[in-house]
Amino acid sequence: MLSALLLIPLLGALFVSCWPSKLASRDAKRLSMIFLVVNLVVSLYLLIQFDLANVGMQFVESVPWLDELGLGYELGLDGLSLPLVIINSLLSLVAVYASDDDVRRPRLYYSLLLVITFAVAGAFVAQNLLLFFIFYELELIPLYLLIAIWGGAQRGYAATKFLIYTAISGILILASFLGLVWLSGAESFDYSSTMAYGLPWIQQAVLLAALLIGFGIKIPLFPLHTWLPDAHVQASTPISVLLAGVLLKLGTYGLFRFGVVTFSEVWVDLAPYLAWWAVASVLYGSLAAIAQTDMKKMVAYSSVGHMGYVLLAAASSNPLSFVGTVFQMVSHGFISALLFLVVGVVYKKTGTRDLKVLRGLLNPERGMPLIGSAMVLAVMASAGIPGMVGFISEFIVYRGSFVSFAPQTLLCLLGSGLTAVYFLLLVNRAFFGRLATSEDQAVEQDPVLPVVTLQDRLPALLLVGLLFVFGLSPSWMTRWIEPTTTAMYEAMPIKLELSSYSASEPLANASTDIATCSDGDCAL
Amino acid sequence: MMQSLIELSWLIPIYGFIGVILSLPWSTGMVQRTGSRPAVYINIFMTAIAFLHGTVVFMGIWNVGAVQLEVPWLQVADLSLSFDLDLSVLNLGVMELSTGLSLLAQIYGLGYMEKEWALARFFSLLGFFEGAVNGVLLSGSFFLAYFLLETLTLSTYLIVGFWYAQPLVVKAARDAFLTKRVGDILLLMGVLGLASWAGDLHYNEMYEWVKTADIGPLASSLLGLALIAGPTGKCAQFPLHLWLDEAMEGPSPASILRNSVVVTCGAYVLIKLQPIVVISPLALTALIAIGTTTAIGASLVSIAQVDLKRTLSYSTSAYIGLVFVAVGAEWPGVALGLLLTHAVAKALMFMSTGAIINNTSCQDMTELGGIGSRMPATTIAFVVGGAGLVGVLPLGGFWALQLGVDFLHREHPLLSGVFLLVNALTVFNLVRIFRLVFLGDPTPKTRRSPEANWLMATPMIGLSIFVLVLPVAFVRMSLLPPLRYWNPWVFGALILSGLIGLGLGCTVTLSHSLLRSTQRPMRVLQDLLANDFYTEQLYRVTVVFLVSQFSRIVSWFDRYVVDGAVNLVGMASLMSGEGLKYSISGQSQGYILTIVVGVSLLGFLMTWAMW
Amino acid sequence: MTQTMHSKLNNVHPFAHYAERILSGETLLPDTPENVIEVMGALDSYGIVLDFYSINLNHVADTQFLNLFPIFKYFDGEINPARMWRHFWHDRINYEYAEYTMKAMMWHGGGGLDAYLDTDEFRANCEAAIAAKIKYNPVLQVFHRVFPEFLIEQIRQLCYYSGLGQFWRVMSDIFTSLAARYRKGEIEHIAQIVEHVKDGLVADAARPITYSVNIGGKMYDILPASAGLTFLVDTAIPYVESIFFRGGPFLGTVSYNAQAQQISPDQSRFTYGALYADPLPIGGSGIPPTLLMQDMFRHMPDYMEEYYMQTVRQLGDVRVKICASFQRSMFCVTNAALVGLLPKGAGATEPDDIQANREFLMVWMDRLATSQLEAVQTNPLGSD
Repeated sequence: MLSALLLIPLLGALFVSCWPSKLASRDAKRLSMIFLVVNLVVSLYLLIQFDLANVGMQFVESVPWLDELGLGYELGLDGLSLPLVIINSLLSLVAVYASDDDVRRPRLYYSLLLVITFAVAGAFVAQNLLLFFIFYELELIPLYLLIAIWGGAQRGYAATKFLIYTAISGILILASFLGLVWLSGAESFDYSSTMAYGLPWIQQAVLLAALLIGFGIKIPLFPLHTWLPDAHVQASTPISVLLAGVLLKLGTYGLFRFGVVTFSEVWVDLAPYLAWWAVASVLYGSLAAIAQTDMKKMVAYSSVGHMGYVLLAAASSNPLSFVGTVFQMVSHGFISALLFLVVGVVYKKTGTRDLKVLRGLLNPERGMPLIGSAMVLAVMASAGIPGMVGFISEFIVYRGSFVSFAPQTLLCLLGSGLTAVYFLLLVNRAFFGRLATSEDQAVEQDPVLPVVTLQDRLPALLLVGLLFVFGLSPSWMTRWIEPTTTAMYEAMPIKLELSSYSASEPLANASTDIATCSDGDCAL
Repeated sequence: MMQSLIELSWLIPIYGFIGVILSLPWSTGMVQRTGSRPAVYINIFMTAIAFLHGTVVFMGIWNVGAVQLEVPWLQVADLSLSFDLDLSVLNLGVMELSTGLSLLAQIYGLGYMEKEWALARFFSLLGFFEGAVNGVLLSGSFFLAYFLLETLTLSTYLIVGFWYAQPLVVKAARDAFLTKRVGDILLLMGVLGLASWAGDLHYNEMYEWVKTADIGPLASSLLGLALIAGPTGKCAQFPLHLWLDEAMEGPSPASILRNSVVVTCGAYVLIKLQPIVVISPLALTALIAIGTTTAIGASLVSIAQVDLKRTLSYSTSAYIGLVFVAVGAEWPGVALGLLLTHAVAKALMFMSTGAIINNTSCQDMTELGGIGSRMPATTIAFVVGGAGLVGVLPLGGFWALQLGVDFLHREHPLLSGVFLLVNALTVFNLVRIFRLVFLGDPTPKTRRSPEANWLMATPMIGLSIFVLVLPVAFVRMSLLPPLRYWNPWVFGALILSGLIGLGLGCTVTLSHSLLRSTQRPMRVLQDLLANDFYTEQLYRVTVVFLVSQFSRIVSWFDRYVVDGAVNLVGMASLMSGEGLKYSISGQSQGYILTIVVGVSLLGFLMTWAMW
Repeated sequence: MTQTMHSKLNNVHPFAHYAERILSGETLLPDTPENVIEVMGALDSYGIVLDFYSINLNHVADTQFLNLFPIFKYFDGEINPARMWRHFWHDRINYEYAEYTMKAMMWHGGGGLDAYLDTDEFRANCEAAIAAKIKYNPVLQVFHRVFPEFLIEQIRQLCYYSGLGQFWRVMSDIFTSLAARYRKGEIEHIAQIVEHVKDGLVADAARPITYSVNIGGKMYDILPASAGLTFLVDTAIPYVESIFFRGGPFLGTVSYNAQAQQISPDQSRFTYGALYADPLPIGGSGIPPTLLMQDMFRHMPDYMEEYYMQTVRQLGDVRVKICASFQRSMFCVTNAALVGLLPKGAGATEPDDIQANREFLMVWMDRLATSQLEAVQTNPLGSD
């Protein structure tokens, strides 16, 4: 069944690229969407079929492939990959839907997008280290091309930077995988969480360090992040949506899947430092975001900050924080995708993302009030306002990490506060005030922005809906995640000692009246 | 019937949100040809339903005693969060008061905003706000209260920012959000601490936990301070008070609620947290310090204001300062009394100012005057509201203040002095306002001021009657202290302080031009108070400066150090980037070539590593 | 001395050429086919809307005299379920805007009506009517005793209901007949529009403004004919002054904060009126004229809709566009009023007379200097 998730987009890519007759942009888009809708339906079918009682891999597929390389076609799905697979299916569809109807070179464009869907899905379900790595690298090339061909003015620079960074990331990950297999004496690259047990501490540490830097580039963590703002700014909107919503999660997914349990001995020792690293990343990303005047760059730096929470949660290594790790990935996926979508609509309609000139886009007649409202909700979700998914995922992260690393958690909370600062600046500048899209306007040159169509709004509204659904009913998300992450925690041979944890048993039959009345105090 | 209504009490906070959802067709602009008033009626209807449901449940609870309503929300790992409601007489009473005020403010708002086109959005926001406040007031779980307090921050942002095209509104909305957010983040730290240490966020369980808690002096101090930070922001207490002044840019109906219900809601949470805050003596001292500073400082600042709404909003901060003092001195009953009497009285006064502003398009007291004989409802509302606020026997404010003075003077004589001082200053200020606005000759802007329309006048008269009969209700519910506890000295001191304020207020010379004093020290003092002790400037050179400098440094560092280093190292990459760029502008064979090269590079890497 | 100062400054006045245009029989608004469509479309729908407003204002003045709970004041006496449903559903004219205009006019004052409301004669008229009205209402009697200005102020407001209702009756008829002529193809130029409006104003200039109410079967004169109030001087000119020029600050764009001092303490220096307003914020919150634009939108003639459909956003920003068109049409009305008020008449040929006319116009040009007059010189769809 999992192969379907890979085959459908791959077939789609082949169909679109090999369509015998001339394929108009609109038709290529429609064709890709058909494939992606089927893909999404299959993903949701997997969701329904998913057995919550089973904490191991499900829908396992195992086909021997290149045995001499140790490369096997090993697929499996658990509560860690399931939400990410679904997000991938969903956001791929959103990205295609949000693509321009008259995109240049539609065949190449849509087949590359479908290849990304294929590769990312592959990476999330691969249970063979080498297979994971191949998918991980495979996603890189289409993304590179998508930035390099359909990007902004400096797309060459940004794309190359992205390529080089990610290639280094790949080399480090590969080196770590090879080292792991070689040192542990495993017969193949088939992943098992116990591979590294028994290795000397220092060997584990080197392998983990390689993974940390390799995935740290992808996540990205400070100071390995500089490719991200450039890539986002140059990429077109659908690519940014995919990049922020899904591709960055490959980094956290890889680190969490292959790093935490496998190297738990070292992980637990390094955890406080990793938490500090998360703090640095969060604060750095947030502070850098404040100074940005390009909306997209601001959102990109915000991504750096918010992905730091995932590291914080992973470092905290307790059952709750592990749920937070996955939940935060999902919630960041929704929120950042929405943010990039909305910024994309603004850019499409006004031709600028410059916060120095944009004003008053909420104007109900000539602006984009619905898109503006979606933006307000998105930034509020990102700033952790309850009712939307950002709050509860961050709350779980904080509550999980607080018992492990209280100071680091509190500092990361500052990042939440700073999120409010920069995003409020964004909303206030671009959406409040009197409508304007350029610096000096005479009255007769009041901007008349192109109409915001349903096509612009629909994906944004869909994501807004999801923000609320999972924000108001987070158990719909945690129920898929929790069994797996708990199993992962239990599989850790060494647990992190909790610094400040003293959860008392729920007090039985405790009941006192609030504002206990004594003496005449009850009297007014 | 009664039983099922009590069990359905979770609907009470939901009604407001239902109104919001039902109003969506109008608030999102989907309805184009007809106007948005149906959304208004829906929201008012929903508030009325919530009020009625609350009344029935209140009567039921009165008979059967408090009921806990369990609403589990999320259970994950060792974290268990619930939206439990605590249906006690007190909670329901406060909730009824807030819903009632909200209902009146909405009816009033229909009159005040009759020439407004974006009514659906405004009333949706009020509905949202009302739902969230009700949830906070009924919450049996601190998590629910925190959850909704934060959504209230968003709601404040959107309501203050209602007229988002107006520059000062934009600034006010931003400041309101950020200041409250500071409090919220600190409060979140407290929530995390409690969730980790106490393990349960229900008030009752936390009260039990506190009795035996042993988390060390540092942790308990930090916990206590974090817990009071949230209410400090919500209640506009020093140093997080700036937003309330600016929030007066928002529509008057929202100002009514903000100065009565919002601050009440924040302070009510503080009162509920008080048994936990006692874990830290430092936090209690901080409460008293914050409260005293705000009470006296804001009273003085309020006297120096020329803006009708702002002078009253500072007085709100001052009164809630007294509430903080009472909570800090561990007299929650005093705090509650003050809070509730203040809420109704202040709501009434803000209704009155709204009517004036609606008529004169002016809220500058130096340009107002002589409207007393033309606008009876407005005048009555102001006078009754003012009398109900300060120590005028036998209205509510008197009893609340009297209780405070009575209890505090035993342990903290100085603090009871603060109560008396604030009373005197408030009386002085209200008399000043009354003389400037209602007495004297009509000014150009008030020479034609007919009474406000019936939608505004009716809530004003209704609430005035409520304030006037409140003492009777106190007697009926035996909330007044028994006669033997009446302390003539306390009564005398309170009345005397009011008389001093009245005397000074009546005799001080008021000039409509309100020229700045010619004496330099006096002028400096005037400016200092009129500008709220230059708090805004203080923020600008401290917090705002620090954050903006840090962000600038980080941004510079990112651009020149991190990225610079990368670019320096990656000269080759730059060059190859150029090369790639050329190939991109070429044929599609170019891409295929790139892909082939890329894949073979990968293959090479893999095989290389294998060897 | 000021006279000579003026004539010297005339040559350098940036708006002097507009005065010259009027003197030479041209119009403030350029005569282009687009402008004719815009102005006619706006005046056509405005005429219809004013008809509703005028009927309602007169209805309130006549039947809701000192009714403190005028719940059905917008029903024009037609209280039935269908009308109630339409009212609830907000499928109706926004009469609130008419009241808003009435209040603005009353607040700014000016003219004979305003002056008469402060006379003892008016007070005597009021007392008689009040005595009759509250004869059986002890509560109101107490209120009247304690707050002596309360009911009189209410009656002053009713006088403005009536005055504005009578003024708009005339204007509505002028615009409706103009629209009829346009449909017959008689109107092709801006100058013809100005001419038509001017003729209408002049024809009704001396029409008396009176107000009396029926209490208990007896008529009470509030504004008697003997007060000598007339259409042009006592309602039209104060209306132009308070609505076209001064207006009121919109909460959606101006801060009422006393310390910010954004609003002038002197009402005569207000420039929030229709000729100055920025059309862009229309449709947003805190902009009362949106109500008028909505009413006009609902009565927009077909040719106007077709015309708007050519623009980028079609009907998406229709209220802003109607406001812009409305502003253009109001410059035509202003133009007509100025021509009608020229001290030496429009056809003056003597140099001295022309100079007098010019000086009269220059005063108005001063006031128009910050208005949108420059903005309406461009082609309406120019930037689209």
